Amino acid sequence: MTTGDYTAAQPAAPGTLRGDTDKFAQSPAVTRWLAETAGPVTDLAGRASALESLQGFCAFVGAGPDELVAQCLRPTKSGGTAISTVGRRSVNESVEAFAAAQGLTGHDAIVLGNRLRGFLIHNGIFLQGPASIS
Amino acid sequence: MEFNRVIGTRRSIRFFKSWRPVERAKIQVMLEAANRASHSMNADYFRAIVVNRDDLDRETRDALRNPTTTADLDLAPTYIFWYIDLNYVEGAQDRLKELVQQHALPSSHGWSKAYVDDYLWPQVLEPISRDPNSVVFMGAVETGIAICNAINAAVDQGLGTCMHAFTANEKLKPLLGVPDTWLPVWLQLLGYPAEEPEAGGQRPRRPLSTMFFEGDCGHPWEEDPEVTERLKREGMIQEPGPFPYRAQEVLMLSRMYGLPE
Repeated sequence: MTTGDYTAAQPAAPGTLRGDTDKFAQSPAVTRWLAETAGPVTDLAGRASALESLQGFCAFVGAGPDELVAQCLRPTKSGGTAISTVGRRSVNESVEAFAAAQGLTGHDAIVLGNRLRGFLIHNGIFLQGPASIS
Repeated sequence: MEFNRVIGTRRSIRFFKSWRPVERAKIQVMLEAANRASHSMNADYFRAIVVNRDDLDRETRDALRNPTTTADLDLAPTYIFWYIDLNYVEGAQDRLKELVQQHALPSSHGWSKAYVDDYLWPQVLEPISRDPNSVVFMGAVETGIAICNAINAAVDQGLGTCMHAFTANEKLKPLLGVPDTWLPVWLQLLGYPAEEPEAGGQRPRRPLSTMFFEGDCGHPWEEDPEVTERLKREGMIQEPGPFPYRAQEVLMLSRMYGLPE
């Protein structure tokens, strides 16, 4: 795996989207995610925070956002693309490992994990994480 | 709730009040509704196991999880595992004769105990029972009919429900004590809806004329507008989704449960 041009999240002033985050946000998968969630995530701070989470995760697994989506797909015999059960499971496990590596547990771990799953979901990867019910 | 409104109000509910258990009495009503459904041959095609989410140990709950069914399992307080019992043919010969005895299968329509014993059973039903495809086909159809009754009984009692495939049968079998002859059909998740019962409005359906025909396939069913209007008044046909606030409803519920937005 390569990280490409992507780097881990850099601290950014609240409410801004600058530097590495700007570059990161231009990847097709991230662009698609941000466009799909433009309604719910309208505030800049929310978008920056979501992007930083994703950037951190990409650095954690050593893959760019487009690679992350690609890891959840596989080619079909007919030349099309299908969701890879193995790839999706692997990324899902990495999501949980990332949340744990941040020292998060319980509700906070679920929210971070599902925020990352949202990136994959809006790129066509059907995926569910746990709900926070306690 | 009136029958037509029950039919019209049914939705696949995906947000449940995770904290509110379902009363056992309401589940019994659902099971009795399933039990009263049409049973061809009066055979016992289906089995169901009712499980409270919070009674399951960690191992069992984790066995059910997969990348596409996880949040639902956390939110629904009650699970009903539906199976076909592939042994349903056993005893069906006697149960058919019970129906003859009750005049449910009357001689006016050609039925007799002798017909069941001498012809129907040995020449039709017993051979079918040895064909696995036929056994599964009939079992699936009959189990689906029963589940439909259970779903509508849930809606009638103010509950929400949604059917899910379950893929962890091999792991579940020993945990739930499931016999080898039971074939998994559906996992029914059950609870009180956290979303509005209308769940954003009635789902889009195609006109009757696209699926139903009169006389032959060349003549699509023509709706009587007066009947259509009556069904709207009686609640079978309801306001179509999405309601203007549906996206916001989903967003708020997602945030409440920490789900992806």
